[in-house]
Parts: sequence; structure tokens; C-alpha cells
Amino acid sequence: MKPLILSGRGLMEGNAEGEAIVSTKAFTFAHGVDPATGKVTDVRSDVRGSNVGGKVLFYPFGKGSTTASAWFLETVRLGNHPAAIVTEGVDLSAVIGSVMAKLIYGKDVPVVSGVPRTAYTEVKPRDRVRVDGGTGEVRVER
Amino acid sequence: MEVVTKVGDAVGADSLVPIKSAHVLAHYSSLHDAGVEVLERFADSGGKFAVPTSVDPASIDLQNWRSFGIPEDYARMQFRLCDAYARLGGMRCWTCVQYQVCNFPKQGDTVAWAESSAVVFANSVLGCKSNKITSGMDLACAILGQTPRFGMLVDENRKAEVSFKLSAKITSDLDYRSLGFFIGRNSGSRVPVLVGLPAGVSSDQVKHLGAGAAAAGPVTMIHLPGITPGSRTPEEASGEEKVEEMDVTRSDLEGVESDLDQTNETPDLVAFGVPHLSVNELGELAKMLEGRKLRAGVKMYAYTSSQAYDMALRSGILETIEVAGARVSHSTDAEISPLKRLGFNVVMTNSAKLAEIVSSEGEVRIRYSSQKKIIEEVTN
Repeated sequence: MKPLILSGRGLMEGNAEGEAIVSTKAFTFAHGVDPATGKVTDVRSDVRGSNVGGKVLFYPFGKGSTTASAWFLETVRLGNHPAAIVTEGVDLSAVIGSVMAKLIYGKDVPVVSGVPRTAYTEVKPRDRVRVDGGTGEVRVER
Repeated sequence: MEVVTKVGDAVGADSLVPIKSAHVLAHYSSLHDAGVEVLERFADSGGKFAVPTSVDPASIDLQNWRSFGIPEDYARMQFRLCDAYARLGGMRCWTCVQYQVCNFPKQGDTVAWAESSAVVFANSVLGCKSNKITSGMDLACAILGQTPRFGMLVDENRKAEVSFKLSAKITSDLDYRSLGFFIGRNSGSRVPVLVGLPAGVSSDQVKHLGAGAAAAGPVTMIHLPGITPGSRTPEEASGEEKVEEMDVTRSDLEGVESDLDQTNETPDLVAFGVPHLSVNELGELAKMLEGRKLRAGVKMYAYTSSQAYDMALRSGILETIEVAGARVSHSTDAEISPLKRLGFNVVMTNSAKLAEIVSSEGEVRIRYSSQKKIIEEVTN
């Protein structure tokens, strides 16, 4: 199958590669991901029980508490953070968490937004994904 | 500050604008060890807040934490946050109702506040302009004294786009919370206007209405005609545009109640005060508890600011509450307490915000009911 190329807007630079984890519902790290394991704990999430660690995390929108950036940053501190985040709408928690990850821990977690909604049905769990947070290009090998 | 410029770029802000005040988060339960490192890094580098800055509640009662069973190691991390925050020059209020305690912007001021319920109050009641500022960016805005101009800072974006008409009669404190929650859930990203509130609605009731709305969705403002500056009528709120109208009926409020109420189990904790109770609300609680006694096996905590706590102490309110077997806890609240670690499994509350947020992890189960019904159930 030909790779699927999604072009979004790069909000945080960096290159990353990993397996896809795809939430079709609004997502939050706050009370939603256990930083100590990277496991999704939000009872309302459709990827509850999956692990975001090292994966390219797709979700359409952020939701909930303004502390999500802090929860995200704690996953970075403990090494259980996603390799990259790809959203449809801008999620400020992802942007801020990623800026802090670079500032405090020197880690790149590229963030891309503005990918089409169809991405969330076309991209399958475990698809191999490469993200360029500079250009906003998301390449999905299927 | 890179945080502020990156966010500005991400949201397409056209400029940075000065702010009159900031409100930041510094509680350990959300910030974790990483957040301690962030605050200490900012404080160590000699950073100072450029504008009057208040802070949300801590994860522990800063005075009586030992008697609330908070483990030493947990308290130590919270105190590191407190120390770093103090070095940055913030007001040590530790409350989510800073607008009732120490942070008093005037109508028309631009502010950068974290704490979603306070942002709704700022935009809807005080007539200030604030976005809901995410953790990390809150500190950056406070230190910079500036914030990107987008969202609710742009007049065009503040117009009401959906109208809620309350047709149910308000019969309890719970109704304000459920009504707010209903509005939050059904507004999506639109700014709502609400008509039909009782004329005598209090600022505390509006506080809980806004908190419910912000917990259920991205709402940062509710136009309340007659209360919200610049919105004397629904037409003024929407800029004379025709908007979708939704009725809010008794069955809508009951729908929220049944969604948030998850269990019939006997609670091991009753929690009032998310967001913090005012001293007047503590007084009302004391009146309801007078002559009653809390049943064995259940704890009842009322959360408030240290300032309201002091007033309650001086006016005998605290004593009445304690005689009934309940306690008042200040500078913290249940939402950001280590509930599970303290051994609480079933929490009963009249806070839609607490119910929504705590239940999302699925570890603590929630019962959602009015203050009156709760007291009748758990006291003799």
C-alpha cells in the first residue's frame, strides 16, 4: 500500500517516528494518562488501556483541565511520553507541554495540528508513522 | 519567553498585550515532580512576576495537613512548590476564588488566569477579558506581564452564539451546578448566553454555575443579561445576531444529575467547596449542621480559602461546623487532593466540577446530590 501523507501545520519542531495510537475522541493527559506508565486511564477515552509511550499519538482535539500540559510533562520526565502528537484542532496543552519538554529535559516531542478529520479513520493502530514537526508532514506507512 | 511566543504562533495571535493580573497553578497533584522542577527553575533563574499574581489551591491543607492524614513525602513536594512560587513574588492566597480574596481587576482589564471557573467569572461577571491559560503558560504570562491576543481577548469572539433559556424553576444549590454543566456540555466551542436566572441570584451561585460549565466543556464565558457588563439584554450579548435557542427543562437538569451520580454506595467522604466556599456559604453550611451530628464512618470536609477560614474562626462558624463532626480545610480542595492515597473510594458532593473531574480516572466513585440531601443522609 502506498504511504499516506498528511500535511498539517508544524507547531513544535523535531522529527519522530513510531507506531500510531489513534483516539477518535477528545483527549487529555490530565487524569487521563498515568505518567508513571504511559497508560491511558481516562474512562471516557476510546484508547483506554493503551500506552502512549514512544507512539505517535493522534487525537482530534484536547479537552478538560488546563493542567494537561503538566501531566504531559511528567510523562516526559519519566520517559513515558509519546514520540509525537498529531491533532486536528490546536491543543495548547500539547504545544506548551512540548515547549517545556525541550526547555527542562532537552527532549523533542514534535506537535502537528491541522490534519484532516479523515486521518482519524484512515490511520490504523500500529501503522508506522514519521512526523516532521518543522514542515508539518506526517507520513504513514501502511 | 518561548512558551508565550510558541502559543501565540499556534493560535495565530496577532500580538502580545499587557495584562493587569495573573493567576497560576502550583499544586503537586497535577504538576507532579516535573512541575516542581519547572517552578524551581524559574525561581532559581531569578524570575519575578511582573504583575499581581495569585495562585490556585495547593494539594494539601497548608496549615493542618498532618491532621488530614497527608503523608510527609507528599507534603514536602507541595512545600517545594510553595517556596518556589513565593520566591517568584506571588500572593500567597492558595484559592480558586481569588476574585473573592485578593485579585481584583476592574471591568475591561485583560488578565491571564488559569483555573477555568475563575476565568468564566472574570469574563461573565467582572467584565474582564481572559483566556483559560494552560499550566506552564500561566507562569510565563505572569513573568512576562503579557499574553497573546486571541480567543476571548478579541471582542468579536465574545459574542454569544447560542442561547439557553432556563424554564425549570431553581429549587436547590444543585440546580445551579447542573445548569452550568448542561450549558458547558451543549455549547461546544460557542459562547453561550443564559436567560431566566432568578433575579436574586448571588455571586456565589454564579460562581458554581460557571464552574459546572467550565468542567463540562471549553466554555470560558457565559453572558448573563443584567449581570455581564455590556450585555444588558440577550440581543446585546449576541450583537443582535440570531442564534440557536435551547430550553433547559427540569428533565435536562435531572439528566445531568443521573450522569454525574454514579453509585448508591455509602460515601466515605463528603466534599463541599469545589470551587472554594465563601465565608457566607460556610455560614449557611454551619446553620444547616447546627444540632446535627455526622455519622460514624464518613468524613465531611468543607474547602475554603485561608482568609474565609480565619473569618469563620472569628465568627464562630468554624466551631459550629466542627461540633457537628465536620471539618473545614483551607488552601486546598478535594479535586486536587490525593483522595485515593487518603483512602477515599466514594465521594459525595454537590460540585459538578468535582464529580466530572474525579470520576474520569475511574478510581474514586461519585455521588452527586444537593447540600441539603447530603446532610440529611450523613448526619443524625
